[in-house]
Amino acid sequence: MLNYVLRRFAESFLVLVIMSFVIYGLIGLMPGDPIDLMISADPNLTPEDGARLRALHGLDQPLFERYLRWLGAALGGDFGYSRLHNQPVMEVLLPRLWNSVLLMGLSFFLALIIALPAGVIAGLYARSPLDHGINLLAFAGISVPPFWLAILLIMLFAVNLGWLPAGGMGSGGDFWESLRHLVLPVLALTLLTAGGIIRFARAATMEALRQDYVRTARAKGLSRTGVVWRHVLRNAMIPVVTILALNFGALFSGALITETMFGYLGMGKTIYDSILGNDFNLALIGLLLATLTTLLANLVADVAYGWLDPRISLS
Amino acid sequence: MSAGGTSPRRTQTPAGELAAAATRALAIPRRVLWRRFLQHGLAVFSLGLLLMLILISFSAPLIESYLGVDGDQVNLFAIKAPPSEAHPLGTDDLGRDLLVRLAYGGQVSLLVGLAAALCSAAIGTVIGLISGYYGGRIDALLMRFADGVIALPLLPLLIVLAAIDLQKLGLPAAITSSPDINLYRIVFLISIVGWTTVARLVRGATLSMRAREFVRAAEALGASPIRIMVIHILPNVVSPIIVATTLSIGSIILLESVLSFLGLGIQPPTASWGNMLTNALELIWDAPALVYYPGALIFITVIAFNFLGDGLQDALDPRSTKDSGLFS
Amino acid sequence: MPALMLLPLRTLSPIRLLPLLFALLVVAWGGGALSTPAVAKELAIGITQFPSTFHPNIDSMMAKTYVLGMTQRPLTTYDQSWEGTCLLCTEMPTFENGLAVKENLPDGGEGVALTYKIQPKATWGDGTPVTSADAVFTWEVGRHPESGVSNAELYRRILAVDVIDDKTFVLHVDRISFDYGLVNDFNLLPAHIEQPIFEAGPAQYRQRTAFDSDPTNSGLAFGPYRIDRVVSGSEIALVPNETWWGTAPTFDRVTIKVIENTSALEANLLSGAIDMVAGELGLNIDQALAFEKRHGERFDIEYESGLIYEHIDLNLDNPVLQDKRMRQALIQSIDREAISAQLFQGRQPVAHGSVSPLDWVHSETAARYPFDPEKAASLLDEMGWTDIRDGVRHNADGEPLTFEIMTTAGNRTRELVQQVLQSQWRNLGIDVRVRNEPARVFFGQTVSQRNFPAMAMFAWISSPENVPRTVLHSDAIPTAENNWAGQNYTGYNNPEMDLLLEEIEVELDREKRKELWQRLQEIYAEDLPVIPLYWRANSHIRPDWLTGVRPTGHQAPTSLWVEEWGHEDP
Repeated sequence: MLNYVLRRFAESFLVLVIMSFVIYGLIGLMPGDPIDLMISADPNLTPEDGARLRALHGLDQPLFERYLRWLGAALGGDFGYSRLHNQPVMEVLLPRLWNSVLLMGLSFFLALIIALPAGVIAGLYARSPLDHGINLLAFAGISVPPFWLAILLIMLFAVNLGWLPAGGMGSGGDFWESLRHLVLPVLALTLLTAGGIIRFARAATMEALRQDYVRTARAKGLSRTGVVWRHVLRNAMIPVVTILALNFGALFSGALITETMFGYLGMGKTIYDSILGNDFNLALIGLLLATLTTLLANLVADVAYGWLDPRISLS
Repeated sequence: MSAGGTSPRRTQTPAGELAAAATRALAIPRRVLWRRFLQHGLAVFSLGLLLMLILISFSAPLIESYLGVDGDQVNLFAIKAPPSEAHPLGTDDLGRDLLVRLAYGGQVSLLVGLAAALCSAAIGTVIGLISGYYGGRIDALLMRFADGVIALPLLPLLIVLAAIDLQKLGLPAAITSSPDINLYRIVFLISIVGWTTVARLVRGATLSMRAREFVRAAEALGASPIRIMVIHILPNVVSPIIVATTLSIGSIILLESVLSFLGLGIQPPTASWGNMLTNALELIWDAPALVYYPGALIFITVIAFNFLGDGLQDALDPRSTKDSGLFS
Repeated sequence: MPALMLLPLRTLSPIRLLPLLFALLVVAWGGGALSTPAVAKELAIGITQFPSTFHPNIDSMMAKTYVLGMTQRPLTTYDQSWEGTCLLCTEMPTFENGLAVKENLPDGGEGVALTYKIQPKATWGDGTPVTSADAVFTWEVGRHPESGVSNAELYRRILAVDVIDDKTFVLHVDRISFDYGLVNDFNLLPAHIEQPIFEAGPAQYRQRTAFDSDPTNSGLAFGPYRIDRVVSGSEIALVPNETWWGTAPTFDRVTIKVIENTSALEANLLSGAIDMVAGELGLNIDQALAFEKRHGERFDIEYESGLIYEHIDLNLDNPVLQDKRMRQALIQSIDREAISAQLFQGRQPVAHGSVSPLDWVHSETAARYPFDPEKAASLLDEMGWTDIRDGVRHNADGEPLTFEIMTTAGNRTRELVQQVLQSQWRNLGIDVRVRNEPARVFFGQTVSQRNFPAMAMFAWISSPENVPRTVLHSDAIPTAENNWAGQNYTGYNNPEMDLLLEEIEVELDREKRKELWQRLQEIYAEDLPVIPLYWRANSHIRPDWLTGVRPTGHQAPTSLWVEEWGHEDP
């Protein structure tokens, strides 16, 4: 077990290094470097100024050498400065990472406690009106354009009813203010996430019901509810866990739209702005953190497998 | 990076189940399939709805001539007009007929959805077939490649690809300066990241097909690998492809709207539901209809494609009829 | 037990759960949601951008200028009547008052020595006086090649700084331009805080500066306010600075909230979370117009059109655009008056050239091109674009008359105008295709390296009587050889224009200079290297109780006069 986890860690690290190169290359390929932007913004910069600034930012080196230098510094714990915030990258990212964890964690948790029971019930009562109702809601969550949902929520709760702030983070420190600012983004994300989870839980439940051991258990006279608790739920959880782990990584960087619409300072928006603003260091570390989260979530999912399904051994 | 959790990589069905369904769907006659599909009320309703939307969208020129308006003609003196006889849904922020714009936008959104889904499916099928049939190193390589594509951050990739000068790539000027170039670009962008789901499905199904007697027999008779893949395996993995593709059309239409929101989608003046919605967001207080209509159309269309996919899956899976829930 | 468990599950179907959730929401947050009306003497301002740095001389961006307007004062600036004026200095140096003196340069040219006196009571918030040593330090930082200061040209022009006494210093400048007394970008840095950081490593200075590592340090401000709290990316809180020499400001606390999404910004204004939206970084014109229609009685809305010049750069290397008649046909086939009147309700007036009508050198006599489709059509016919097929003109060689227009993707107003123009050009048989790019690509590469095939639509932001040398002079055409320096993106090359630009810069006589400006505008209108569109307006949205905010119409933010802002009791 320990061996397995260690090997997975090593693999994840390798993937991270490869990803860092790919991302570095991609960002390097994007047209216009920071100095181009400065030159176009400031007519007084001479060609010499441009060359001087390029050298100052290390942009005069070939991409690969820049990458190696960056990698060396990063492995030594120096992630550089963010160009857009003029602060060390980690100082910019860590508070936003926390914001993201808060937003994601809350909505993920809410989505789970709503969607898992709903999905399992839909599976158990497949093709009943209840199932159709849950399905309809699930598909609605999957199908709604995220920014449309956000603006409708803002209109309803912030403007028409005036209950909740329309966006922003709340004045730092005030717990209730911060909480009030979290409600709408969490609600939006929960609605967007829950649909997918319901569908998976439903499909997994139906699949589990088809298995021979369920039939055997029923034949042996175990009550329906007993079957559900002993066999179905446990087996249904396996695929659900996988997909949740995968989705968690996507969620992490993927709340971009929700964050933008509600003016919430999370990772998605930060990464997006850093890419558009040519903030190399910030974009790179942000994307790597997102990748790392996905990898870790997958690892957790695999370990959870072993726990849920004794047939799978982790060696 | 996927936006808003609506990337085309996510289908709503665990891959394993679809692949398994593939091997089961073999022997069902078409008439039976149709009958079983008809049992799924919502799917039938969705199919009808989609056909109607497609019909309306592609009769945009007819609507134009019936109303006597030109969908591209800006009219600065009739901005954001309320519904009237000449403009059944009113006009947009440049005085163009909203109904006609929505119809043209529907053409683009539906076309992008359909084309990108088909391209993704085609790429995915080829890669999945090769991967599943040859196995071994080729399989490992292709699947790691798929993993890599899934992990790739979408946004910088899209910006890079959007900034590539197509003429420098040697494409003829007739194509690069065509107003539809935007459309091709979006379809291309989505296809090259969206193929992984189908590839995994097809690979899984192919793996199980390979072991079947009739494939073995064909091999023994000296059929070429391509022939085996195309003639013997492909027809048997079609149903999961159909289901996955149907489901992905919906998520691609959503993705297009998200790309528009990020400024990477279809560019005006070409209308798509996505960019109509995005452009109207700022007007929500002033002209909410401009937000409601395209948003609702995207919503309805995507949900309909999802139900359609659901219904197809049920119809194609022989176990599904007797497969009612434990409690129903 | 399991049977019992299932029962509640059954009743907890999502459909029934939803109203319950909403009810919970109402109970939990409904009560506290009544937003408290702004307590008197506090002001919450909404803007759309967060400053990337608080260092006054690194990176120029409006969000930073706006915030620093409250905490610092430049030596000089343009005021609301577009006159150069002293803010931190006590008297503007001129030849007449003897504070400016011509002097000969070692290389034989002529320069000027400018004497500035710092406000006697100017003191950094920690009690250290603002002195000439700060000026010397600022200059040293500015001219250091590794300091990363953006406006290096300003510091290169300053050859030396002499200290006369604690509050008086002399700048030796290497040229005499007509605006010689103005050093608007020369923002003093607190030497007592910044010098040790700078000397520890000039190359790391831009990252280690106390302005960013310790922005709430009171020693960084000498204006009416100092920064009290910074929430990166979302909020900056300011409190009065005790050492401020001028009128005490009205508000005990000013909070600047950053909300990038303008729909959300508007919602915040309506819900009372912010009191006003700064015109400098606020709502789009059409949003502001729509807002006024619905909430005009609760808020004062002022539209200030100024020095933001929206226009289309024409690539003059394009063979079709090289013909002056073609450029004239293009401008006469578009109805800019209708655009201004219908889309902007006249708040963003039509531009006829690059000099604002509010500028004293503006020409009334330079050629103008009103909407005249017949004239445009006859010009097009004259050039041989006579064969109209599928609504598009073709020439004798069968080539279609088609152009590509590019602008920043996602800028709604520009995209709207773009579509109107496209539609109007189509009426004349000119096929114009839209290809927009994200701003970073558009400005970072396409425009700055002249990669746009025909038309690029964007804005120039300038200051009063700004000589468009970098935009119109032939030596400012960006090329690979000069490392893409310069902003003459059209590739405009006219020797007479070059000469005029050089002359205007050094002509000290106002009347003579005005004549040169007239000529410049005549040539500009005649040659039409660009299609002028309109003057963008800032929309200042304020509560009716706020007084004293005076828009400038140029780059200097209203916040430079924040001590004049008042609260009028209803």
